[in-house]
Amino acid sequence: MTTPAQVPEIETGAGLHARIEAAARARSRLVNRPLTGTVASLAAAATAWREDTELARALPSVARLDPTMVAALLPLVAEALDADAMAALVESELGTRASARPAPTEVALVAHVLASNVPALALPAIALSCLTGAAVVVKSGRDDPLSALAFQRALAAVDPDLAATVVTAYWPGGAPELEEVLLARADVAVLTGGEPALAALARRVGGRLVTHGPRLSLAAVGRDGLEEADRVAHAIAIDVALYEQRGCLSPRAVYVESGGGLPPRDFAERLAATLDGLAERLPLVSPSLEERALARILRDGSDWTPGTAVLSGRGGTVVYDEDPSFRPTLPPRSLRVHPIASLTALPGLLPAAQIECVGLAGGDPRALVPALREHGVSRLCPAGRMQRPPLTWPRGQHAPLGALLGHPGLPRCTVET
Amino acid sequence: MTTALPLEAELTAAIEVTARGGPALDFEAWAVRIFAHQFERNAPYRTVCERRGVTPSVVARWEDVPPVPTAAFRQHELTCGPPEAIFRTSGTTAGPATRGAHLVPHLDLYRASALAAFREFVLPDGVRPSSLFLLPSPARRPESSLVRMCAWVGETLGSRHDWFLGEGGLETERLLQQLGERAERGETVLLAGPTAAFADLFDACRARRRTLRLGPGSRVMDTGGAKGLRRPLSRAGFLRECWTHLGVAGYSCVNEYGMTELCSQRYDSALVDRFRGRNLAPRRLLAPPWLRTRVVDPDTLELVPPGATGLLCHHDLANAGSVSVVLTEDLGRTVGDDGIEVMGRVAGALPRGCGLLLAEPGSG
Repeated sequence: MTTPAQVPEIETGAGLHARIEAAARARSRLVNRPLTGTVASLAAAATAWREDTELARALPSVARLDPTMVAALLPLVAEALDADAMAALVESELGTRASARPAPTEVALVAHVLASNVPALALPAIALSCLTGAAVVVKSGRDDPLSALAFQRALAAVDPDLAATVVTAYWPGGAPELEEVLLARADVAVLTGGEPALAALARRVGGRLVTHGPRLSLAAVGRDGLEEADRVAHAIAIDVALYEQRGCLSPRAVYVESGGGLPPRDFAERLAATLDGLAERLPLVSPSLEERALARILRDGSDWTPGTAVLSGRGGTVVYDEDPSFRPTLPPRSLRVHPIASLTALPGLLPAAQIECVGLAGGDPRALVPALREHGVSRLCPAGRMQRPPLTWPRGQHAPLGALLGHPGLPRCTVET
Repeated sequence: MTTALPLEAELTAAIEVTARGGPALDFEAWAVRIFAHQFERNAPYRTVCERRGVTPSVVARWEDVPPVPTAAFRQHELTCGPPEAIFRTSGTTAGPATRGAHLVPHLDLYRASALAAFREFVLPDGVRPSSLFLLPSPARRPESSLVRMCAWVGETLGSRHDWFLGEGGLETERLLQQLGERAERGETVLLAGPTAAFADLFDACRARRRTLRLGPGSRVMDTGGAKGLRRPLSRAGFLRECWTHLGVAGYSCVNEYGMTELCSQRYDSALVDRFRGRNLAPRRLLAPPWLRTRVVDPDTLELVPPGATGLLCHHDLANAGSVSVVLTEDLGRTVGDDGIEVMGRVAGALPRGCGLLLAEPGSG
């Protein structure tokens, strides 16, 4: 018997097709069930998944993360599937008292192709699909073929009927027969990953297509935020370190308002020191040769650039950079700190349609929302919470359930407090 | 009494003597002397060296000379004197501000180095080919170091030459016509340019069902590798297509590895190995005696073990007029005791290189 910690075996197209058909039949048996049951089961499964010791043991090596990091991440992923939060999402998107009613019926099958950059992307994918009343098939990425399977097993333990509507699959990529089975029948295909992979898969999608390509994030610190510089530096360091900066919610730059209690350059030094300290608690995995080369290129390039200072230590690389233009860093645990006269100037510095999230410390988020929304930003949250997206996060500015149901609505930018 | 020559002129003469089979250059002595020269005349370089506590008085070995990252060429005018030419790196997505500039104060030194190495590795049999360059002309791209080098090759080492990259990209019809005429006459042809331009030529041949058989001794020099390619093309695939579409055997196909920031280049060993009776030696990139390459660990900049992969750091004496030691964003490894293999650019580093000449035919 397969345990949650084992990488699933590669199957045939016929085998995958049969499992998808079975999930579709299981879904038809739930059409009259109120969503409250689905919400409760998903939340209970997430709680059990968080405690899965086999998963915690096996995930570090496949996801190339330190065990300490995985132990820190699992609760953060699970907390997004909080029952109250899911019920609130359902009510806000599907209408008052929607939780008490059966799920919508217009979408029968959602297919997700998950990226490899960060683990456990399967949980929100499965949860959102279940909340739309669809059967769901999730193809995991190379660096985490385990989480989806572990979650399905946790769900089967609390709600076998709902778990039967979930299909988890994994193959290393470049398997046309399996991709055809996965994508051709789905009413909605949600593709996450790099541009070449998205382009190759998108051509084969038979139903509606939702894509999530590469995006970046940043943090911003207002003058009032600098009054708690140590706390803010720690919060941003956490946002940088979690997931080793592999995700679209990882900050690659910090904009710090000048004229506060701490000069931006001093804040950069404090952030570098905080990253060093954090590396004791959340150790970096050994970087690859390419990652080490990128760090060298960043350090040496910055060393030769006027107006910059390189503050690198064992916890990462911070480049203080007086040039405010947004130039994301590439090595693990690295970012630029830019001084900025006023946070109101921030949106004008950002490239359009490339920034997903802004982590704020101080300043007035609501004053920034209109301009950031125009630039494609979907989420403003407190610094330190960038890696804890709620299920309500309108990824790509789309309503989470609406995007699957075919009515994503106007571009959204939420403010979390 | 000897006349005191400027260092660059003296080095130019030494390179020419070495290239003619004269006494070998004393690389270390030149490296130390050139560092002192650059430290004195190149202010941005001196500033960084002083910050690191490296002065001519503490540099005793060629390996001690501080490297300069390619990124520095985007920020500073790294020259020891008024430039006779400014060469700029290619790049399409990041804009002109991110293009590096190599200011060359003594073009004769670049010319001597480039021609000597080309003659050694691409024309070791002394043939004077008819040269067709899949590149824009020097008038259209005066800031391309590759174009400048090819112009010298065409003028000095060839019988006649022409350029085939126009405003609209590769001038396929004219090129195929000229190649066809030369093939009919059995002329020895040198076909040179970015790998990406060759890929376009192969596609054109395939689309027209055109197969050429270039004259005896014809050869190909390509550069840039995968940069700018519109479709994947492995090295083995490239060599196969050279044979299929042009009738040029793999051992007559010489890959060049060069950089705007360097006045010397490395070349595929295949042709020179054949002429030296070393047919079984592995393909590798060879350098003239005045260019050395260290493969270094990105963290420490210390040498990695032989054959291990690391960052490439070139020490080019012919760069005497700017900075001699250039730390690249390329990964590679040593092959044997005289060659290297380039594995490619570090993923995520800014795109650059002559392969992108195709993507920006109208610039410059």
